[in-house]
This record gives sequence, structure tokens and C-alpha cells, in this order.
Amino acid sequence: MTTGVLIYCFDTPRFKYHKLAQRCVAQIRKYLKLEITVVTDFETFKCFDPMGIINYKLVEPTKNNHRFYRGKNVPWHNRERSMAYEHSPYDITILMDCDYFVFSDHLLEMSQTDFDIMLHNRVSDITGKNMIEGVYESCLPLVWATVTLFKKNQNARAVFEMIKHVQEYYSHYRNLYRIKYTNYRNDYAFAIAMHQSGVGTYIPTAMSMLASDVDVIDTDDSTIVFSHKGQVNFIKDRDVHVMDKEWCDG
Amino acid sequence: MYNTDMDIGKIKKLSKIAFDIAQAKRNALEGMRSRQVMAYNERLFLADAHTINLVSTLKQHRKDFHVLDVNDNPCHIQDPEDFLSRLIERNQETLNNYQQIHKDLAKRGQ
Repeated sequence: MTTGVLIYCFDTPRFKYHKLAQRCVAQIRKYLKLEITVVTDFETFKCFDPMGIINYKLVEPTKNNHRFYRGKNVPWHNRERSMAYEHSPYDITILMDCDYFVFSDHLLEMSQTDFDIMLHNRVSDITGKNMIEGVYESCLPLVWATVTLFKKNQNARAVFEMIKHVQEYYSHYRNLYRIKYTNYRNDYAFAIAMHQSGVGTYIPTAMSMLASDVDVIDTDDSTIVFSHKGQVNFIKDRDVHVMDKEWCDG
Repeated sequence: MYNTDMDIGKIKKLSKIAFDIAQAKRNALEGMRSRQVMAYNERLFLADAHTINLVSTLKQHRKDFHVLDVNDNPCHIQDPEDFLSRLIERNQETLNNYQQIHKDLAKRGQ
């Protein structure tokens, strides 16, 4: 059985996602020690520093989606993730956002268990200000597609087929589940697919997150120091989803 | 009567420290619980007091037994001794870490 990490990374006019991906890869190498595949486009591929042995898969992303970030609407190339089942060369895949940083071997432990597809259904705002989860945003048990573990089997394949279907008819499913946001979000597509197919389990711990308003001010390979409205704190030895997209820009 | 001579700047400072410590403690606890999740026989278990007590009790009455994991999937425990020792090891590892953080936080509060 092969286990590896699959990362999607496409630079946009606003953000240099490849810089986040480079840091993400360094953390994976240190804590998970797994093979890594990066799905990217040629423009982003040219920007990567040499990172040793990495598998690259070059695709052309669909570029018609946007997201809200710090008061602005910015381009967001997130639709290729529905192809993760086909893109992954591994029997067990840890599909990860390039802004998710591992600081423990927690995911390795998860990957050694029996599941079809597994992801977080709870989040923990590290600042303690509950800025992540909104209320009345949909009538759907929400999951977070930031980290998704899946195996190459019939059930996982069925979920990914369902995700593609949801993506194609997203406006219908958005109305059906009364989703507040008009843009396409993988979190909702994955949640709808899991809800419709009845397949999948949840990672038993909440995903630690730093909201987009939180600035990362310093890091080393085990700690992230962050600041929000003048309050500075740190988190150590815990995997974190950092929504500040510019902290690696230097 | 309220003490109207209190320095608001000092109160704000104390309040900020208290908030930071409470938050750091909450994060440390969350981290501890996250680290307590362990894989065994392809299932996931929380190495907390509840699981340790359950396994310890069942071990006294059965050579092998079934327990539910965190996702309510059954798991056949064939070597309770091994399972229990792993649970205790992970539990104590996480609690030792938490104890260290707790000590540091107590110093910050002084």
C-alpha cells in the first residue's frame, strides 16, 4: 500500500500560492516523511524553488471562481480538487490545501486506520474568537475539505464522482441546501457529496485554524506566532490551517 | 462601594494577560486531546481516562473483547495487555506535555 500527500497549488494574480506550498512541503517532509505530488499549472510550476524529489502533475485550472479575502474579491482556482481521485497516484492519499501546515505526525496516524474518506467536521479558532464558523450559512452538516484522506476504493470513487456532479450542478445544490455563498466552495461540494452518498467518516479532532484576519508574524518548524488586533500568541506542535495567504511572501 | 481609584490601564493589562493565558490553556488542552487520538488495529481511539478504565476493566474479565472506536466502529482487541500499555503510554505522554505548558502558563500569570 502506498501512502502519499496530494497538494493543489495555483498562483493567482493576487497570491503567490507556490510560496505557501513550498513551506507546506517542508513541513510534510519533516513530520510525515511521505511522498508528495503537487498538482499545478505551468506558470506556477516555473516559480517553484528546487524542492528535491516531488511529483508534479501539470493541469490547466478553471479560472472562473472568486472568494472574499480581507475586504476584497479575489480570484480562486479551486475547482480541480474534484479530480483528486484520478490525480492521486497513491493507494492512500492525504489531500491537503497548500495553506495547511503539519507540525505533528497526526495525519500519519489517521492514515493507518480503516476508512473510505475522512475529513474534519469541526474547527477550532486558535484565537478563541470564533471567527471561522458563521451561523445560518446552509442547512447541511458542514465538513472541511482542507484535509481529506481517502483510499482508492469503490466508496471513495463514488464520493468523488458525486463531487464532480455537485460541481457541475452547483447552483441547483446551492439552492437545495440553502447555501448562503454564491461562489463555489469545495467544503460544501464535499459536504453535499457525503450527505448524498452516506459515505465517509470524520477526523475525531477539530481542525485548528487561523482566520484570514489573523497575521502570522513568525514561525519556526514547530511553532507559529500570530497576532490579531494587537494580541500576540503562539501555537506549537499542532497542525494548522492558516488563512493569511501572504505570510510566506517575505 | 466600588473602588473608584482603580487604574483602568492596569486592569486592561491584567485582563489581556488573563485572556491570553486562558486562550493558551484552551489551545494546549485541544492539542493534548488531539495527540491522544491513536490508531490501533486500523481503528481510532482516544487515549483518555474513559478508554483506559474501560480496557482495564474488560481486561480483568476477558482474554479478548470488542470495543467501539471514536467513530463507533467495533474493534476486536486480542491483546489487551498491549493495547492498555499503548493507551497509558500515549495518555501519559500527552499529560506530561500539558503539565509542562501548564507550569509555563502559571509563571506567565504571576
